[in-house]
Amino acid sequence: METLFENLKRGHGLSMLDVRAKIAIALVLLVMNMSYKGFVFPLMMFLICLYLCLIIKIPIKIFLLRFSEPLFIVVVILILKVFTAGNEVLFSVKINGINLIAHKDGLMEGLTIGSTIVGGVSIVAALGFSTTFTELMAGLSWFRVPKGFIEISLIAYRYIFVLLEDAMVIYNAQKNRLGYTTIKVGLRSFGTLVGSLVLKAFENSQNITISMLQRGYDGNLPLIKQNKLKSLDILLSLAFLSVMGALWSI
Amino acid sequence: MNSYKTFFLGIIVFFLLPVNAAYAMHISEGILPLKWALIWFIVAMPFVAYGLYQLNKLSSVDISFKPLVGLMAAVVFIISCMPIPVPTAGTCSHPCGTGLSGILVGPAISVLITAVALLIQALFLAHGGLSTWGADIVSMGVMGSFAGFLTFKVLKRLKLNIVIAGFMGGLFADWATYLTTSVELASGIKGDSPFLPLFWKILLAFIPTQLPLGILEGAMTAGMVVLLYKKRPDILVKMRILKPEEVAI
Repeated sequence: METLFENLKRGHGLSMLDVRAKIAIALVLLVMNMSYKGFVFPLMMFLICLYLCLIIKIPIKIFLLRFSEPLFIVVVILILKVFTAGNEVLFSVKINGINLIAHKDGLMEGLTIGSTIVGGVSIVAALGFSTTFTELMAGLSWFRVPKGFIEISLIAYRYIFVLLEDAMVIYNAQKNRLGYTTIKVGLRSFGTLVGSLVLKAFENSQNITISMLQRGYDGNLPLIKQNKLKSLDILLSLAFLSVMGALWSI
Repeated sequence: MNSYKTFFLGIIVFFLLPVNAAYAMHISEGILPLKWALIWFIVAMPFVAYGLYQLNKLSSVDISFKPLVGLMAAVVFIISCMPIPVPTAGTCSHPCGTGLSGILVGPAISVLITAVALLIQALFLAHGGLSTWGADIVSMGVMGSFAGFLTFKVLKRLKLNIVIAGFMGGLFADWATYLTTSVELASGIKGDSPFLPLFWKILLAFIPTQLPLGILEGAMTAGMVVLLYKKRPDILVKMRILKPEEVAI
């Protein structure tokens, strides 16, 4: 959840770049990353995004947390591909009488998928770390993402923290009262915890609506108005994408 | 040589993938090739569009509906981030919460809720991804929500107790999600290999976590239904889950 903190995402060079340009760059890079046949470009993406995240002072712990899950998946896919895909033998080992054969083409296939995962996660991480959620939503609305979707996302994002705090209070109270000592008790406690969250969601929705109505809510949330795209932002984005495109085509 | 391969695959599947499956309800960024990412995105979008249509229709009648849907998206986000210990796999996994939202707000809105929760998770937690957003919406949102909703409705129509209907709704929502995720993963990573053998291997790999997790999800959904029935039966009536005469004291 630490990666959601908004205070990391302000006051750096990347926050100056227009959010629409950032979204467009990220989407084009994701397409390039997925369509590249090999692992050089995705790994390059990883290095560039890592550099960007480091210069915008993202704590290394938070950065590593972001990669912990995808890297695990990469390792599993690599093992699967090395030992089960391909025909060209790389090496073989005998463990307890079982001959395990690693394949060179399987390794290459695994590396390609693994690097695409790392590259893709890096691109999204750089976008997420450098932009606040509100800005992202304003950018998406410029790209004609339906208003209803944007509004629901904004409300959800705002109340994740409120409900998460409630969930932690309930969970700790349950734990202190031995609510998770056995599977049966744990199941009941967890059901109650989720039920309580749903109850809070229903109750809060009424209160939120009343307070929003008092502030002039008419069924539509106001969004940040986007100014005209600056020529500098367009030029910078095109230049960056051209360089990336050239590297992609090598 | 093939038998060795199969045997080793079995070992990997049994010991390694259960841990992977702990995360695998969300398909990670970059796993799917561009073609499959686009296909799943195209499949998902009509459902999201229908959810938006329903949202606009219902919020024009009840102004508190949009905030409610936003809060439910926050609940689904939290539920699908909660690490739950799975004793049989010796690891942690997470429920989807989409069966629960499908039952509560209907499958169309639930798909929208899932899309929102998945977008936030992809952007800020690397759970799922932007390129796999469509695939994740189809497995968790569409399949999970519709399986949960339809199971609950059918069992209620068969006059079964709401606890059992809720439990089965959650259970089938989870299993439908895992079945679809297996299809998506197998089609995405198969390369030149045939689809079916890989699909069965992935499906088998999910079993150690997803079977108990489905039960957990069922218990969670049943627990939620029971709590609402005891504390706020009016909500169940308002959301058309129960008829007024079913909660009359």
